[in-house]
Amino acid sequence: MSSIRALAEELTARGNDSLRRLFIARPDLMMPGVPDFAALAARACARVSLQRALETLSKPQLEVLEALVLTTDEDEGRSGSAVELRHAVGNATLGTLDAILAELSQLALIYRADPPDSIHSASGSRRRYYQPVARVREVLGSYPAGLGRCYTELTSASQFFAERAASIVNAIPAAVQQQPVEHHIAAAYALERWAGLPEALDGAPDRTREVLAKFTNWPVGAVPHAEGRVRPGRRTDNPVDWLLSHGFLVPLDDEHVELPRPVGLALRGGRIVPELSLDPPPAPRATTSTALRRNAALGAIGELLRLVSALAVEAAERPIETLRAGGVGTRELRRLTSVLRCEADQTVLSLELAAAAGIITLDVDTSTWRATSAEPWLGMARPDQWLLLATAWLDSTRLPSLAMSPEGGGQLAPLAGEGQRPDAASVRRRILEVAADLGAEANSPEGRASVVTADDIRRRLEWAQPRLARRLRGLLEGVLTEAAMIGFTGSGAVTRAGAAVLRGDFEGLRSLLDEILPQSVDRILLQADLTAVAPGYLEPGLSRRLSLLADAEGRGPATIYRFSAASLRRALDAGEDAGSIMAFLKEHAETDVPQPLAYLVEDTAARYGRIRVGRAGSFIVSDDEASIAGLLREPSAAQLGLTQIAPTVVVSNASPQEAATVLRELGLAPAVDTSLDPAVRLQRLRGPAAPGLLVPTPQPVIPHPDDVEAQLGILRNQSAVGGNGEEAAPMLGIETLQKAIRLKRAVRLNIVDALGNSTVEELRPVSISAGRVRVFDPERETERVLSVHRIIDVELA
Amino acid sequence: MTDGPLIVQSDKTILLEVDHEQSTEARHAIAAFAELERAPEHVHTYRVTPLGLWNARAAGIDAERVLDTLLTYSRYPVPHALLVDIEETMSRYGRLRLEKDPQHGLVMRTDDYPVLEEVLRAKKIEPLLGPRIDGETVVVHSSQRGQLKQALLKIGWPADDRAGYVDGTPHPIALEQKGWSLRPYQQLAAENFWAGGSGVVVLPCGAGKTLVGAAAMAQSSTTTLILVTNTVAARQWKDELLKRTSLTEEEIGEYSGSVKEVRPVTIATYQVLTVKRGGLYPHLELVDKNDWGLIVYDEVHLLPAPIFRMTADLQARRRLGLTATLVREDGREGEVFSLIGPKRYDAPWKDIEAQGYIAPADCVEVRVDLPRDERMAYAMAEDADKYRLCASSETKTAVVEQIVRRHAGEQLLVIGQYIDQLDEIGERIDAPVIKGSTSVKERQRLFDAFRSGEISRLVVSKVANFSIDLPEASVAVQVSGSFGSRQEEAQRLGRLLRPKADGRSARFYALVARDTLDQEFAAKRQRFLAEQGYAYRIVDAGDLAG
Repeated sequence: MSSIRALAEELTARGNDSLRRLFIARPDLMMPGVPDFAALAARACARVSLQRALETLSKPQLEVLEALVLTTDEDEGRSGSAVELRHAVGNATLGTLDAILAELSQLALIYRADPPDSIHSASGSRRRYYQPVARVREVLGSYPAGLGRCYTELTSASQFFAERAASIVNAIPAAVQQQPVEHHIAAAYALERWAGLPEALDGAPDRTREVLAKFTNWPVGAVPHAEGRVRPGRRTDNPVDWLLSHGFLVPLDDEHVELPRPVGLALRGGRIVPELSLDPPPAPRATTSTALRRNAALGAIGELLRLVSALAVEAAERPIETLRAGGVGTRELRRLTSVLRCEADQTVLSLELAAAAGIITLDVDTSTWRATSAEPWLGMARPDQWLLLATAWLDSTRLPSLAMSPEGGGQLAPLAGEGQRPDAASVRRRILEVAADLGAEANSPEGRASVVTADDIRRRLEWAQPRLARRLRGLLEGVLTEAAMIGFTGSGAVTRAGAAVLRGDFEGLRSLLDEILPQSVDRILLQADLTAVAPGYLEPGLSRRLSLLADAEGRGPATIYRFSAASLRRALDAGEDAGSIMAFLKEHAETDVPQPLAYLVEDTAARYGRIRVGRAGSFIVSDDEASIAGLLREPSAAQLGLTQIAPTVVVSNASPQEAATVLRELGLAPAVDTSLDPAVRLQRLRGPAAPGLLVPTPQPVIPHPDDVEAQLGILRNQSAVGGNGEEAAPMLGIETLQKAIRLKRAVRLNIVDALGNSTVEELRPVSISAGRVRVFDPERETERVLSVHRIIDVELA
Repeated sequence: MTDGPLIVQSDKTILLEVDHEQSTEARHAIAAFAELERAPEHVHTYRVTPLGLWNARAAGIDAERVLDTLLTYSRYPVPHALLVDIEETMSRYGRLRLEKDPQHGLVMRTDDYPVLEEVLRAKKIEPLLGPRIDGETVVVHSSQRGQLKQALLKIGWPADDRAGYVDGTPHPIALEQKGWSLRPYQQLAAENFWAGGSGVVVLPCGAGKTLVGAAAMAQSSTTTLILVTNTVAARQWKDELLKRTSLTEEEIGEYSGSVKEVRPVTIATYQVLTVKRGGLYPHLELVDKNDWGLIVYDEVHLLPAPIFRMTADLQARRRLGLTATLVREDGREGEVFSLIGPKRYDAPWKDIEAQGYIAPADCVEVRVDLPRDERMAYAMAEDADKYRLCASSETKTAVVEQIVRRHAGEQLLVIGQYIDQLDEIGERIDAPVIKGSTSVKERQRLFDAFRSGEISRLVVSKVANFSIDLPEASVAVQVSGSFGSRQEEAQRLGRLLRPKADGRSARFYALVARDTLDQEFAAKRQRFLAEQGYAYRIVDAGDLAG
């Protein structure tokens, strides 16, 4: 029976609890909603879904599944149970194996099958027998359990080997029972069934074991001129030549060789899995003091909030330029780094986080990043600010560390499109979860927290999710760097705040942060060396006003503001005066204003404005003071907006032409001085964008219980197996085609042509990939390629 | 979070809030590994440098204690990267040790095999080493001890020198504490130095560094070479030693441009040792040919480069460096560390001030308005003449007279750069003028008269003031120019102005022409003096009269 149908029946028979667990473990099965059990089974067997499911398996689960795949054969009806597996898997009891098989079955990766034909006794039927679902073999890859293919498969894979198989076998008398073989299939069978293979390996030349040891985890290796080294029957002391000549290594081409499965098994003592890795690698033992961890995390949190706030303010004042190819260029990055007073890596992270949290957005018209509006961000409570950044980072599909310095990954421009990694969010969460678990398991003594290194996480991931580990490995360092900079981890250990975000415990986190984040300060210390020291995180309004009066220096929790004549002039330009500056300083200073600072403020203010600049549309000059005075008194001249700036000079808001017209109407005869025509270019002023609401939005990773219940309801109403079966049909068809390909059997295909006419043909499928089936048409003796979507029905002939 | 007095910044500075109740404890704790950079009234800035950390290691403080200090006293979380950096830096000191091996002589040893491998591969270090004895030990040519230490410091693996010292020729020296005694901190500084073998003692100006030197000499009781900056300093050392120790006139020799005496205790100037004739240093044999048991370097922060080269060959002799600051304008702090030795004692200024031994001067900047004609002349002058024009304004002379009237009866110095201006002031306030053309004899006479109170006012040109030290005064007026580098200026100011018997601090006036270059220079001085902890005020010349 088709595995999809078998699985569908099994799923139908399951209890609701079991289905709930399945949906939680494999949420993609119910997203979008699935109409019936047949469709559910088909989805469970789909390649992508299987890939995801396999990624969640732990090392022992995967090992058992691989062993089951290697010991069973669906077409021959050879199913497997714990009993069979016990021979193939070392260090495992029947109970352990049964438990793991039950887990795999729960995940719908294997299904209950009839016992093999050889076991029909009553004793055998009490055991549970399983088959892997269709396509698990395919998704596991060519080399499950790191073992090579068997000789029969290799003869069809390598023409070179097929041609020489017989002579290789005949050169090893012990491998052939009675008479020399002639055909390569016979030779392959002879090698496969050769019981003396392990003993034969013992007689190998020196250092052969070392060569073979290289094939322990992967059966394919590179050997230069592999084909030329196969010389059956010749004596040789070179281990590689010996192995090749005896067929213990099979050349795939002139450069690569494969270790056949029987040889691989012999090396593993006849077991597919020499030792089941039941226990996870031990938790790390190194520890750090909790004070240090807390210090590191709080330091990072405080610094991050400072940087993002400074970035928001800066972006509001001066949008961040981008490169033509996207992303922020080196020069702009350097500028921002000096404005933020930090390291370049911190600028990169702040930019990425600010963008992810929506604090800055890309203005497509100007290709610049602008602050959405600094206000909502600056107005938020500090715990909420961090929460926003932390959740934005957790769910971001970008990897900021890719743009950090080379040891962080690469040299991409920050905010460039290339920083996108679609699986970044899930990978990041998984890495942090593992780090949190490891930290919790280590069970460190009071006052200490365990240090989880990238290596610890890597080892644990390789055990917990070996298939995902390969993907995670590349991103691990970057994610950990980012986590430390954000404050998820401190001194190598996951922090309480980080753990709370992972759990989604936002309320707990807010109160935790409220308690541990230092209060902002609203007092400054003024000193005679013309500096103001803000001993901590300064309230945003205060810091902005102070930045106007003085230049900020220093990097860290405190900021030093240095007053100078130039900085004070900047404030005077912005409309401050000596009185307001002194009042501000007196109000916020913890101590008196030092005399030299007061002197500087007053001196600078007194000198300010000795030369004044203003805006005017035109000027009116006359040597005759009386006529100027008369003009100012003239009511109809009021429309010109006249201001007298000297006894003989008046300026007007109107343009020279307008002013001349009005003056002529008044009976005066102005001469327009065109050489000094004031041209005032008005800058296009842009109002602030609508303030967006900044809300942390956690992404659902497990389906909501209500959704699961709704899904169950739908399934239970459609209880008939196969139902209308529309969704499952293509999968069933493909499964049938694959079976036909394996068994080299013909199928009857109902095919629709381009005009919509359907025809039924009997054909022999050869291969299937990328939505296309290659078929052999026995009637015409030609091969054709058909699109899978044109096949509406498949049936074994 | 604790409510400590420190704020640790990620740029490796530490801010100390002075008014905090724990500030004294915290200052003591961090002084061991961080250098005081700025000390204005409320918040002091310390800087954590590799040298500072290695000094701490040499004093037996480990990274854990440094980290603990920072975490204990810090008000906010300490940047984690800084902690990691401190730990890493401190662990580098002492991985390599210079030791005396009974069989092979001077050797370099390590417990950390890869470090030795790394060092052996450094191009500059290889020629300084002899054959390798085993994985962890390599012979060092004893003549290269100094060069090796310098080179190791440069590549970031400072060596711990435990190879010991030669004894030198014994010569009895004792302190004669009659009517005076060593202050506790001087005693401690001398003891720390002796325990460490070689190194630098940092004490603020006026805190009695000479006595620390004398105490070290008494402890050593060997022939001693004292290197000082100039002849006047040499005389001061001699006077002090005669007064405070059992040494007699015959036992102390002066080795300078004019006199060349070699006696059990010899005081030589840097200048004479660095005289070069035909590519050779003719006076170097003073150092090489005698079996000194102790070498004292006065004002280490001013050591000229040739003295460093010479010192590199003197690594087997005990070396004591004395200074008010480890910060060198030329950035050669590393050579002081590797050649003279680590810091052995450092008394924060504030502490000694609190004990009443020193008091910083009160600085007043007087802003003078240039009269209209001088302003016009200034505005139209060439750039090269501008400073002279504003600095030697006539209005300043009148202000000097006011100040003189105000401080009648006090010892008062006027310092300036332009001779014309000084001559005029001298005439107006009826005071002798010392300038470049004044003979040494005459200078000495005038200084002596000033010290004894015979004359109460003296006008000194900047040129004169470079070659010799100024005598003490309670009021100083600077009309133009500056005292060389900012560092020197603050130092000399400290030496020049001692607290008066009645506890009032001395006063320093700087006359500055408003809205000119003069004011720009003054702004720099103001920042520096305020950072050094001097009280600083600005007044208008008009207000001074009132």
